[in-house]
Amino acid sequence: MASKRGMDSQVEVVQIDGLVVLKMVKHCQEEGAGGTDLVQGVLLGMVVDNRLEITNCFPFPKHSEDEDFDQVSVQYQIEMMRNLRHVNVDHLHVGWYQSSYFGAFINRALLDSQFNYQHSIEESVVLIYDPLRTTQGFLSLRAYRITPEMMKFFKESDFTPENMAKHGINFETILEEIPIVLRNSHLVNALLCELTEKTRKEQKFSSLDLGTSSMLEKNLRQLMECVDEVAMDTNKYLNFQRNNFRQQQSKQQYILKREQENLQRKQRGEPPLPEEDLNKLFKPLPTPQRLDCTLVAGQMDSYCKQICEFASQSLAKLFMAETLHVDQSNSN
Amino acid sequence: MSRFFHAGSDSETESESSDDGIVDVRPAGISRAVLQFSDDEEETKRVVRSEKDKRFDELKGIIKVLKNHKKIKDMANVLTDFESLTKAFDKARKVVDREGLPRFYIRTLADLEDFVNECWEDKEWRKNISKGNSKGLTTVRQKIKKYNRDFETQLTAYRENPDAGDDDAEEEDESKPAAEESDDEEMAKPVVKKEEKAPKAPKVPTGDDDDSDWGTESSEESSSSEDETPGIGHLTAEYFLKSTTEQEAQRREERKLEKKLKKEEKEGRRKGEEDDDEEGWQKVNSGAPSQAITEKPKLFAKDQEITQEAVVKKLNEIIIMRGKKGTDRSMMIELLQELKTIAEGANLGKPLSVKICFNIMAAIYDYNPNIATCMKSEMWENSTLPTIQELLDTLVECPDIQVSEGISEENEQLDKSPYRIRGCILTMVERLDEEFTKMLQACDAHSTEFVERLKDEQAMCDIITKLESYLETHGTSEEMCRIYLRHIEHLYYKFDPSAFEETPSDQQDKTSQAIMDRMCKFIYAKDNTDRLRTRAMLCHIYHHALHDRWYQARDLMVMSNLQDNIQFSDVSTQILYNRTLVQLGLCGFRQGHIRDAHNALVDIQSSNRAKELLAQGLVPQRQHERSPEQEKIEKRRLLPYHKHINLELLECVYLVSAMLIEIPFMAAHELELRKRLISKNFHHVLKMSERQTLTGPPESMREHVVAASKAMKNGDWKKCRNFIINEKMNAKMIINEELMASLDEPTQIVVMHRTEPTRLQSLALQLSEKVGSLVENNERIMEIKQGNYFFNKSNVIGNKPDQRDNYQNQNQQGWGGRGRQQRNQNRDRGGDRDRDYRGGDRDRDRDRDHRGGDRDQYRNRDQQRY
Repeated sequence: MASKRGMDSQVEVVQIDGLVVLKMVKHCQEEGAGGTDLVQGVLLGMVVDNRLEITNCFPFPKHSEDEDFDQVSVQYQIEMMRNLRHVNVDHLHVGWYQSSYFGAFINRALLDSQFNYQHSIEESVVLIYDPLRTTQGFLSLRAYRITPEMMKFFKESDFTPENMAKHGINFETILEEIPIVLRNSHLVNALLCELTEKTRKEQKFSSLDLGTSSMLEKNLRQLMECVDEVAMDTNKYLNFQRNNFRQQQSKQQYILKREQENLQRKQRGEPPLPEEDLNKLFKPLPTPQRLDCTLVAGQMDSYCKQICEFASQSLAKLFMAETLHVDQSNSN
Repeated sequence: MSRFFHAGSDSETESESSDDGIVDVRPAGISRAVLQFSDDEEETKRVVRSEKDKRFDELKGIIKVLKNHKKIKDMANVLTDFESLTKAFDKARKVVDREGLPRFYIRTLADLEDFVNECWEDKEWRKNISKGNSKGLTTVRQKIKKYNRDFETQLTAYRENPDAGDDDAEEEDESKPAAEESDDEEMAKPVVKKEEKAPKAPKVPTGDDDDSDWGTESSEESSSSEDETPGIGHLTAEYFLKSTTEQEAQRREERKLEKKLKKEEKEGRRKGEEDDDEEGWQKVNSGAPSQAITEKPKLFAKDQEITQEAVVKKLNEIIIMRGKKGTDRSMMIELLQELKTIAEGANLGKPLSVKICFNIMAAIYDYNPNIATCMKSEMWENSTLPTIQELLDTLVECPDIQVSEGISEENEQLDKSPYRIRGCILTMVERLDEEFTKMLQACDAHSTEFVERLKDEQAMCDIITKLESYLETHGTSEEMCRIYLRHIEHLYYKFDPSAFEETPSDQQDKTSQAIMDRMCKFIYAKDNTDRLRTRAMLCHIYHHALHDRWYQARDLMVMSNLQDNIQFSDVSTQILYNRTLVQLGLCGFRQGHIRDAHNALVDIQSSNRAKELLAQGLVPQRQHERSPEQEKIEKRRLLPYHKHINLELLECVYLVSAMLIEIPFMAAHELELRKRLISKNFHHVLKMSERQTLTGPPESMREHVVAASKAMKNGDWKKCRNFIINEKMNAKMIINEELMASLDEPTQIVVMHRTEPTRLQSLALQLSEKVGSLVENNERIMEIKQGNYFFNKSNVIGNKPDQRDNYQNQNQQGWGGRGRQQRNQNRDRGGDRDRDYRGGDRDRDRDRDHRGGDRDQYRNRDQQRY
């Protein structure tokens, strides 16, 4: 039903039930080995107006290296949804979720599966949950989807630079983020209020942790890896350009020679040489695929944003701490 | 001797060539010892081919050409061919003496005579032919008549049996008669040879021989050859040209007959010889007028009046021979010199002798067929220098003589003022200078010979100064630039001790500095070829640096922007650039600009090829062997010893300055993750010494520097100073914030502070480096995208560093260049550095250019080489 909707009623906001978040966190905590392993699951819910309501989810079974894993998981999903319908829970498939290690999620695999999702269920999104950052005191949860242009582009699966330019794809236009709204039932809200009163003071300030370096270090490391990758890719591209130019040159020479020869033959009254397929003689070089590079660039972009965000928050905290410190020493 | 006896036993298996090889050695050795002017070319080629083959091939070549000319009845060319033929034959005389008169030669003579007579008879034809042709015909007719008189016996023999020699001979055909004949010949040989030695001695053409000398001696020579020719006329029948198979059988028949005949003949002759050897000699001696005399010094008949025209005509005759195969080059020089004395004796005026002088110089430069070898010192002393000096003097004395390359032969004016003569004195002097350098290159630098030669440097300089003053009044500014540069190049490397003394004001413009300044500025202003200006500038900088005028030198260097475009200049300029850079570095060191000194020297030193980069010697290469040509080219490039820069001094200065920079740097950046090396070479030396298990007290320069560095590393600057000196280092470093420390004045304590970068910081640094390299890669892609001509671009990008590293040695830091990042990058591309500076096409081009300048002079040479 939902998938039949037109493009005009694009999902503009994702509304997530607290239950879903808790289930995801739990899944991650239990199976993700503290965030280092990736965990994935299915999101269930439905589209209402321009808002995607995610009301339930269930995890994928743990990865195994079996060949028929796909089949098993598909089987499992169908089974699971059927069961959920029996207990009258939203059973419409609206996307999937994935944990990520410090925001390292933009890669080919994600793109592939998200493409598949969006291909079959247009409104699907992917929720990225970052357990490590969450332990730092911020719940890190983002919803993404592939942009329509990217969908078209990806469908053609022709990742040459020309095609990319044609579709206007760059690292910024691969994925778009959709704002998230967390929603709880009133009962839950009431419970939370009650809990807030019960929590001790020091537990409240876990988000004021001043330690920044470990975060930044990890981010930098990852950024460095990405830079290496991009540099490698740049080299590849450079080589390609060089080879391509060489080929073009020899092609030109060949054509010129052929023309001259034909001219001579014409003068001598002989028939011109048969046209040969130039592409057979000079096989066009495979153009380097730009997709991976663009993905890495997107990843780098997200890292940078992440660092920026983190840094601004940290700076605020540091300033706050400084002021407190000064006040304290003054009062002494 | 046993060989001869063995051969004498008529063994038919003895091949001709083996005999040849043995006999060959002796006369050659003798003659070379005696003939000081013998050809170099001859020497080198002898290794490959036997002299006989060579000479006879030469003859055959000429004969072939002659035949062709005969076919088209080009009498003028027939004449020249004939002349060169006789000349070549003269050259081959030694071989002929040994091998016997080649049959084909006789045949050619006979044919030619017949042909000429035939033409002479054909009066119809004679009327129609051009003037030159008819003239040639007359001359040839006269000459051949005269010449053939010498070979009368052989000719008649040939005419009696013309077919006999007409066959071509493959080796197997030939070996039989040859062996036989050589027997006969060998019997006579020892006798002949002994006698030959004596008369040959006076043949030394030292330049002061006169005609008569030549006459008698060569007549003797020819006689000796004649003596044995009749018997062995067929020996070299293998040289005959055409062969067709049908004739073969017939020929063989004929040959057998002939052989019989010959044997009989020989028998008779031998008897005669044995009877009276002496008489045989006498007879020939009186009988045959000399062959060489027809060839050589009959410049003028005795009664001929020597006029200007006659001399010019003769001169042209001589010049025409130039470049012909088989022209005896040393003889040409002599002829010209002879002509000059005659002309001077007849008082024909200065212009004529100037003209002859020009030709003598050209002939002298022609003399050497090989660019790599240099002029003989005798020739240099006896003819080259005096001639050019005289030429210059005359030109200076007579201002009404106009000399220019632009004047064509026809427009020359020798009889009345203003005289106009074709020729370029500047080119001559430049060539002389090159020759001089070559001679110095050829000498062993530690021999007295070198010192002797070096004394001529003064003469050379005098010539240049003289020419300079001459050109200042007569020449164009372009010519002046050229001669100034010559002067500069003789001046720039000489240390002028007076530079540090007070010079009286009237002497101010005589100091080398003033001279350099004046000349260089002239070149800067007037020159329009980039090369001269570049070279002048480099010399200027070098000179400044040599005299410790650091700021002038440095400013000039920086202003010149040379480091950016030096890689586009020719190799010798690049060498000069390296030399200048090194000198600048040394100067900087003397003046206490350690960092600058280091920067100037680092590239030269870091490659471990300083010797090669400064063209002070060849360094064996690991990767690939040089081809002989390459080696020759490189050898030609080497500087003569007196221009060398002391390499050990260079290394020492470099290491010390590296130490002074590196050790503090190491201390300051001890904790950095990635070690940056300022000087790889220095580290290498340091590492090598650390690897040694036992370090004794330092002995060599290197060990001293290492020991000093170690002392410095430990902060023991006193010890360090004992090895070298420098106490100001520590305080200086604090001021420069290089050392994280503070000086506690009252207690005289240096308090060291140490801050370790956090992991985060070091990571950030690493990241920034990586991003930097990524950006650079990206820029390269962009450059390619922007420029359509990828390869032009990529040459600039890709090759620039190599060339720089190899020859140019930029030091961007010091001279406002691009900063060290690029240099490091260059270093990273180390793989390319192994490619050599001389590999490029440019070298070859340069050689070509180099010759192109005075192509005329080289023409013969090129012909002979290819």
